Amino acid sequence: MSSDSSASLAARLRAPFEGPNTIGNSNGFWASFGVAVLLLAIYPVLFGPYAAATSSVFLVYALLGVSLCFIWGFCGILSFGQVAFFGVAGYTFGIVAINLSSYTGVTLGIVAGIAVATLFAALLGYFMFYGGVRDVYVTIITLVVALVLHTFLGQTAGSEWAVGEAALGGFNGMVGIPDLGVGVGDVGITLDGAMHYYAALAALIATYLGLRVLVNSQFGYAMVATREDEARTEMFGYNTTFIKFVTFTIGGALAGLSGVLFVTWGNYIDPSEFAITAAAMPVIWASIGGRESIFGTIAAAIAIQWLELQLTGEWALVIVGSLLIIVMLAIPKGIAPGIRDLIVALQTRRQEPASDSPAPTEEVSD
Amino acid sequence: MSYPSISRRRVLAGGTAGALAALGGCLEEGGVVGGGNGNGDDGPTIGILEDRSGEFALNGTSKWQSSLLAVEEINENGGVLGEEIEVYDPDPQSDNQRYQELTREAINSEDVDALWAGYSSATREAIRPIINDEEQLYFYTTQYEGGVCDRTTFAMGATARQQLGAVIPYMIEEYGPRIYTIAADYNFGQISGDWVRILAEEHGAEVLDEEYIPLGETDFGSTINNIQGEDPDFIASMLVGDSHTNFYEQRADTGLDIPMASSTTMAQGYEHLRVEPPALEDMYVGVNYMQEIETESSQEFVDSFYEMFPDADYLNQEAQNNYFSVHMWADAVERAGTFDQEEVIAELESGIEVDAPEGTIELDPATHHMTHHMRIGHADENHEVTFDEEQYIEPSFLHEVGCDLTSESEQTQYEPEEFYDAI
Amino acid sequence: MALYELLNLTFQFLDSFAFIVLATVGLAIIFGMMGIINLAHGEFILVGAYATTLSFNLLGVPLVLAMLVGIIATTVYGIILERLIIHRLYGRLLDSMVVTFGISLVMIQLTRIVFGNSLDQIGTPFGGISYGVYSYSAYRIMLAGAAILTLAALYVVFTRTTFGIKARATIQDEETARSMGVDTDRMYLSTFAIGSALAGLTGALYAPTITMSPDLGANFLVEAFVAVVVGGPSVLIGTSLAGGFLGTIDAIFTYVGGTFIGQVALLTAAIFAIRFLPDGITGLLEDIRAKRREAQ
Repeated sequence: MSSDSSASLAARLRAPFEGPNTIGNSNGFWASFGVAVLLLAIYPVLFGPYAAATSSVFLVYALLGVSLCFIWGFCGILSFGQVAFFGVAGYTFGIVAINLSSYTGVTLGIVAGIAVATLFAALLGYFMFYGGVRDVYVTIITLVVALVLHTFLGQTAGSEWAVGEAALGGFNGMVGIPDLGVGVGDVGITLDGAMHYYAALAALIATYLGLRVLVNSQFGYAMVATREDEARTEMFGYNTTFIKFVTFTIGGALAGLSGVLFVTWGNYIDPSEFAITAAAMPVIWASIGGRESIFGTIAAAIAIQWLELQLTGEWALVIVGSLLIIVMLAIPKGIAPGIRDLIVALQTRRQEPASDSPAPTEEVSD
Repeated sequence: MSYPSISRRRVLAGGTAGALAALGGCLEEGGVVGGGNGNGDDGPTIGILEDRSGEFALNGTSKWQSSLLAVEEINENGGVLGEEIEVYDPDPQSDNQRYQELTREAINSEDVDALWAGYSSATREAIRPIINDEEQLYFYTTQYEGGVCDRTTFAMGATARQQLGAVIPYMIEEYGPRIYTIAADYNFGQISGDWVRILAEEHGAEVLDEEYIPLGETDFGSTINNIQGEDPDFIASMLVGDSHTNFYEQRADTGLDIPMASSTTMAQGYEHLRVEPPALEDMYVGVNYMQEIETESSQEFVDSFYEMFPDADYLNQEAQNNYFSVHMWADAVERAGTFDQEEVIAELESGIEVDAPEGTIELDPATHHMTHHMRIGHADENHEVTFDEEQYIEPSFLHEVGCDLTSESEQTQYEPEEFYDAI
Repeated sequence: MALYELLNLTFQFLDSFAFIVLATVGLAIIFGMMGIINLAHGEFILVGAYATTLSFNLLGVPLVLAMLVGIIATTVYGIILERLIIHRLYGRLLDSMVVTFGISLVMIQLTRIVFGNSLDQIGTPFGGISYGVYSYSAYRIMLAGAAILTLAALYVVFTRTTFGIKARATIQDEETARSMGVDTDRMYLSTFAIGSALAGLTGALYAPTITMSPDLGANFLVEAFVAVVVGGPSVLIGTSLAGGFLGTIDAIFTYVGGTFIGQVALLTAAIFAIRFLPDGITGLLEDIRAKRREAQ
């Protein structure tokens, strides 16, 4: 096989994942993507299954961050309530899996968790977008929804708040949630410890690649157009309300997936997942990493959560808060777009005019 | 601050070179780059995960401080089995997810020999699945709703039954049988409310009404009106947290002078020192320890605590529980002759006594709870605290439900509503 | 008897109304006039409350003077923050949310490091008003008066003074205002200072009634946000009407079903209000006015 044809094969393979709406489209980007995946894949080998089990949750958080990055960065909808879908999926998984304590139950629980979160997001999205709620008001409604769930679940301590065997548990949370697994009846595999890590990693990579395809498709163009100028997109014949509704629902489904992975990690969920501090975290990851870069959001979520765990003294929160302020002031778009701009600037200086170098991926705004 | 810093193990310490040779079939044994159980032989470590920031910092800080005091005393006296104890003590920031991460870290990377963790019941329930999975020896030291029957968990605090069992009958006798319950609207508050009912029935009293108030509520105007409408003989208050403290201020402000019985105030969040008198006038609290207790053992403890932490806010009952349980653990290790957790648990279950600041107390082998010296602490109009009616109360509820961890290993939490008709 | 219960309900409403209006007004000005979502609003209130309590406890000044110290401290603090950070965020609505969240984290933890987990609390003045078997805190009822006075004062400042007219012109059309000779930079700074002063006032007024801990700001944040959104674009009228609407819901549902039902009702009402009045109550009023004009 000649190097020529293999290069074109690679290009053809890459084609669906690339386009003007994603930041990394160069050989260099895909090489570093490969390295990142490889590093994440051998992490459990290098540091052991215990470390993998501890770190698994970072990947879960990254997926939650992605669910926000997708709707905010690409369609301009800032939801402060991704944790609502995350938590609802977690509780749903718990209810199903605790009641049907078998592999069937766990498998059904995964499906049910994601389905309920998706449905909930669809309902809320319908309620908001078809009711003409927009911009910052969407942000506040989603936040208030999360806070309502926080207040409501906080007082569900009594035995009257149980669904079958599964007690909602109030402020103390739902306990005894089974591990992740797939199978029917007694036949199946349990994905705990390092296996949970790999399951989360697989979900994250699949989501990442899937979203790249989506945002570079016709629908993705419509999403970005809606973000840039909703009125004009509407005039071109697009149903922007429907676009926002679908985008928001997909975001809810992804948050639901991360919620299921989350409760199977800690075998536990409590209402603090819906509190304002938890709700702010996805916004922080996407802001720091760059909300228009899925890769950047993933990296930021993992890095920030890891950093938080390492900082143990009384100054930890001061450092995290200051970092947030400094990054947002210094690089308003976030780190990943900042790096992209830097690379583009360097390239154009070196070889102007940029002939066959990868086109500077500025968005076509307006 | 003026306390000696305690060295903390670094996760990545240890020879990477030798470990690299083992690349490959190492998934069973921790990784090739440090971590794992690489800390097996460089001395004992205990994990102290107590909140120094976030919602529960007010209660958690002194728990952390008194644990360090106990460790320092032990190390000054030659350590345990001749070895100095090291401490793994990151700040969990009152965040349950962080608790879960740190608990895994403590067990898997730091390989702690015993773990003290958490103020709230929610935190305990968040980390108990991990602790159960890893069969980690765990001490939970907060006064709590009671009922945890768990093979590797040792509940050091007084339970609702012990605290309310001391104070409610006392109040019925002193003030009369008509009770109005206000409690935080979550597991602890609701179960405490159930206990008030059970105790009321046992002593021929009556609960006029119960009001459960969401955590974080600050406005008690309607609650006070409701209480005034019922005019009870005393109020049973199981309010929790900073926001709820506003109730006492508003009670004084509106001139509501009905006495109060409580299991939550003063001995944890030192409301009697923070809120201007006479907000807590005629507050009666069932406690096993407060720094105001004037016995010799208590005052010695108070002195050495403030000597090590001159800027500390208050020495609460949980801090005392952390302090005596670290000593009790060290004692059990000495007797077992090993840090092996199973053998230490067996030693604890053989029946152990400890000279705590509250008095000499013993561990109940069957339930892993303590028999406590319960007192009634009373605040007067200047918030001076005096004590009355000392009783030695054992953890009877778990006996009644048949929890016997010496013969049967369980990992459950029993609730009173399953066993009493009064609810 | 029924009369007394009606009084209970009225007082609870006034209490709730005052709380919502005072919690909201500073946030509403900064959001409505400057397009900054200040997630650190609660911590501005914290500055006011701490400065009041500390000057009362340590310096022994009278309460009113201590409150004045609280307001001034918060204003100065707001001005410093505006110069250092906030002025870079104009026109970046959502970014401002993230940055101010960072500010809030830093402030809470710094307060904890410097002042510890709590301060001794000032007692509430004035005692209670008794009627029948009931009584209600006189101070908390008085706060309703303070809330109305604050709104009235702001109304005068923003509609009757040159400063107010310049400030509103800047907010409506910065370019034009600048070309007319208005120092728009200073207008932004002054508006932010007023917003901060109002947060400081809230902290000062509530200092004798709430527990002094570093996270006390969280008590105010939710109500403030809900009321800002329900109120809509016209800051002062919006805040008053939102306070009235949400205060009524809160008082009635708390009265009927207890504090939990009251909280849930408040939040649910807010969701429905936003859904059916996407531009808030004042947006609805604008619509009605526009329609009436068309009809004429």
